[in-house]
Amino acid sequence: MFYGAVVIAPVFQSVNYSFYDWNGVTAARWVGVQNYVSFFTDPALSAALGHVLVLVVFFAVLPIVLGLISAGLLGRGRVTGAAVYRWLLFLPQVLTTVVVAVIWKRIYGPDGPLNEALRAVGLGHLAVNWLGDFTWALPALGLIGTWSGLGFCMVLFVAGVSAIPNELYEAARIDGCGAVAEFFHITLPGLRGQLAVALTLTITSALRAFDLVWITTQGGPGTATTTPALLLYQKAFENPNVGQAAAIGVVMALMCLAIALIITRSVEAKD
Amino acid sequence: MISAFERLMNHAVLVVISFIVVFPVGWFLLTSLSPNTAGTIDLAHLTWSNFTTAWQAGDFGQAMTASAVITIGAVLGQMVTAILAGYGFSVLGVAGEKIIFPVILFGLMISSEVFIIPLYYEMRQIGLTDSWLGLILIQIGMGVPFGTFWMRATFRAVPRSLIEAAQMDGARSWRVLWAILFPIARPSVLTLALLSFMWTWNDYFLSLVFISDPAKQPATLALGVFQGLHVSQVNLLAAGSLIVALPVLLLYVFFQRHFIQGVINGALRE
Repeated sequence: MFYGAVVIAPVFQSVNYSFYDWNGVTAARWVGVQNYVSFFTDPALSAALGHVLVLVVFFAVLPIVLGLISAGLLGRGRVTGAAVYRWLLFLPQVLTTVVVAVIWKRIYGPDGPLNEALRAVGLGHLAVNWLGDFTWALPALGLIGTWSGLGFCMVLFVAGVSAIPNELYEAARIDGCGAVAEFFHITLPGLRGQLAVALTLTITSALRAFDLVWITTQGGPGTATTTPALLLYQKAFENPNVGQAAAIGVVMALMCLAIALIITRSVEAKD
Repeated sequence: MISAFERLMNHAVLVVISFIVVFPVGWFLLTSLSPNTAGTIDLAHLTWSNFTTAWQAGDFGQAMTASAVITIGAVLGQMVTAILAGYGFSVLGVAGEKIIFPVILFGLMISSEVFIIPLYYEMRQIGLTDSWLGLILIQIGMGVPFGTFWMRATFRAVPRSLIEAAQMDGARSWRVLWAILFPIARPSVLTLALLSFMWTWNDYFLSLVFISDPAKQPATLALGVFQGLHVSQVNLLAAGSLIVALPVLLLYVFFQRHFIQGVINGALRE
């Protein structure tokens, strides 16, 4: 019942809101699908969606590829101190995003450690205010996502590799498979389930990025790092255009659903 | 067989990646003890007073209390709803289960952005914005899908014969839950409680939307404000961040297995 009131009812209301032009105070005006059409016509919205594509590379592709490579490099034997490594690798997952944002904001700062390091090795001319730079702000933000996702992907994949039956590897060795062939023929297919999970979680986290962006750049400089969730917040609570904000929410939810379904389906289809 | 070379290689890979992951956090830890505001690391003059200074400057006493109240309230509420709903769906059977359970699962897949706006106006109408109780209720409601799902899977793993034997002995459904199921499920309940503690404590977005009164804001919001005001005092910034992260970090130190397995199993089952 309670769940119905907090989650389910507002979902329907959101869909309803999204067809109106409303500033939160005066009477709402019916505008039909105009709030959805603006995904194609409003440059701010399409820019935010474009930023998501860049973030997906950093939040999803990089940590998954790096996680796979390192899981592949690791032998299948038990490593002494595995629990310690796992604890360290998983650490970013338990830190609140606010703290992660504060740490990286400092690292990227004009006189932060990154620039100091560049100056120390004589590359001072490359030093910029990373998060305040039109070119670099978005990739810099993305790398924070790579950093926090990497350990998670690695722990997930290493656990997955250890669940692959040993006989498969022995059979491959007998057939004369090299390490690389072994990785592509046995490890990768064996990790299909884990890959699906990692893809779903990281892609949706790129799509929904808010806390990190809000604290580090607030979408700036200019609109260089806006995301749909950021626009949703601004349009819903700062400069109300509630109908448009609700439409963003509905589109985000549909995209999350679609991503989850497509990934699950494609994994099942191969099974 | 693993050769010595392979073993060395394993450690090399793990050390490099662990270093990349841990370095920013470790560096920040040392910065929080730095004697000067530029945050230069000076191991000879560890300045513990940064923590008390930050605590007072950021009004973290109040914010940590707010976070504690919200988190404990939400965790307790989530546990009760999760255990009861999980019991209902797994053992008792619920009328209309075929419709209700998929609706609950649907909640796992959609993002909170889609319902947060109407929810805000609804809560404002009944006077529950800017209120700890309001935030607790929202957190409990949002925790229902994962909690139900988690506890249902846990209770389903309990052998059916055990429950039937207890029922034959005349145990009523309350007794079956508390005397039979709960003791078996205790590790799983603990994992769920830890995850929900972490998620509630670390939340920023919901608090930002629903709490605007500075006197009521939880620690994550307070840190957000604090970092805006003390950009140039890096040592205090780091100390403040650690204060906010500490409760979850402590739990993580003691219950790492629960956290890691909880997040990974939770993700895999979805």
